[in-house]
Amino acid sequence: MEETGGAAPILRRIGTKSNPMFAPLHTLTEVRKNRFLVRNLVRREVRGRYRNAALGYAWTVIEPALLASVYWFLFIMLSGNPDKMYAVWVLLGVIVWGCFSKSLNAATNSLSGNVRTMHLVYFPRSIFPVSGVGANMVVTLMSSLIILPIIYLYDLPITIHLFWVPMGILLAGFMALGFGMMMAPLNCVQRDVQHLIRFITRAGFFVSPVMWTAEMALERGAWGEAALWNPMVLPITMVRHGLEGKVVDLPSAVILSSVVTAIVIYVVGTIVFSKYERGAVKYL
Amino acid sequence: MTQPSIQLEGITLHFPKQRNIFGIVTDFFRKKERKFTALSGIDLEIQQGEVIGIIGRNGSGKSTLLRVISGIYPPDEGTVLAAGDISLLAGLGTGFSAHQTGRENALLYGSILGHNEEEMLAKLDEIIEFSELGSFIDEPLRTYSAGMKARLGLAVASAIKPNILLIDEVLGVGDPNFREKSKKKILDMVKGASTVVIVSHSFGLMTDICDRVVLLDHGKIVTQGDPQDSIKAYYDLER
Repeated sequence: MEETGGAAPILRRIGTKSNPMFAPLHTLTEVRKNRFLVRNLVRREVRGRYRNAALGYAWTVIEPALLASVYWFLFIMLSGNPDKMYAVWVLLGVIVWGCFSKSLNAATNSLSGNVRTMHLVYFPRSIFPVSGVGANMVVTLMSSLIILPIIYLYDLPITIHLFWVPMGILLAGFMALGFGMMMAPLNCVQRDVQHLIRFITRAGFFVSPVMWTAEMALERGAWGEAALWNPMVLPITMVRHGLEGKVVDLPSAVILSSVVTAIVIYVVGTIVFSKYERGAVKYL
Repeated sequence: MTQPSIQLEGITLHFPKQRNIFGIVTDFFRKKERKFTALSGIDLEIQQGEVIGIIGRNGSGKSTLLRVISGIYPPDEGTVLAAGDISLLAGLGTGFSAHQTGRENALLYGSILGHNEEEMLAKLDEIIEFSELGSFIDEPLRTYSAGMKARLGLAVASAIKPNILLIDEVLGVGDPNFREKSKKKILDMVKGASTVVIVSHSFGLMTDICDRVVLLDHGKIVTQGDPQDSIKAYYDLER
């Protein structure tokens, strides 16, 4: 965009984009510039989801708690008597995994699901996946308030490491954003993508430490160690260990690889998104 | 001296056709993609201060052309140049949420149209007054009638003051009283903006306010010039 700085507006080319290679940074600027819009879209989504419900926002906590109790029951049936914290670990796993899978689905469908808006107004399209993920982050942070009664019931120490609880949730959402932005334009072209993503979020549940923990995996030899390379191990374990009052306790290679994976996914996702989002709109 | 405000040079736009797996395979062997050409080779220059009308039958590419100018669709060929900020007025109330109050929806819609928070808060009182919603402004939108929603939508949309205003068939909403008021408001906006492009089927209005009318058919410009002549050419198009 050329600026010559005169009083009269100067002709500029519509639809030029900055180099996709700058997309990872450019996305951040776009979100910052449109933060009022993002805030309003997130609010619309969260309000809409808990409308006309007597229990309202309480469902953010009730839903994962009910889910966790089912998995806890299932696990006790299958493997006997786990340690007393097991139910809590499952609950946290359910919350963090739910954050990831819902955010991923929201980001993947963020373009194809907003056809009407996209046909009538133009604003940076990255706002759609970002606000879709943002809404799920808000909901997840609300459900994570359940750790307060847990701390009381299980007599856990209140430490500075509780900071890792929201950080783990943010990390899960960040990964979902990158992956979802990669998939969103593709999903406009062929909807097969959203079916594939739905499968991934269902199957991923079992290979991620939702019903199991990193410690259990380490007791199971080579297969268990292999399972730790899943990038979702880090955010979930971060939240669990944070609640226990310690820094995440995983092999440093695992931590490093997850962080690198998250960043690479974000970089690739924003580049893919900014390159293909324009063309993809024509498929809608 | 006149200055160009919008310049379209050789705009061509294709829409791809959705394909299933068989389509993908056969297209691969035929080495060509099936597509629909919505606009082909549109050249148009609009000066600052002009009010341009675009007419044409359904599916002739009028709305698509406005979307290309506003940046929604990137053209496959050709370039779009524009001076100043552009605002597309189409489908009043895009993104309204039935579960939030009129006030919240005004802020939401305003932000979708590209306002920042300070601008919206500064304009909110004016918007509420124009919408004539009274105490309903703090009720959820699902309790509104269609006309009330349209009024709120127009009130927000008309608070913008862009250099280039693109209008796509948003006239004639609400009850007769409000329709008059909204027409007046839109005419005010037309006067306030430096350049206006209107897509409409109300030819009476077009003759009144447009300096020039462009007739589109099958994605091509058939004729452009004096509103009366273009409208006559519209009726002469082969059925």
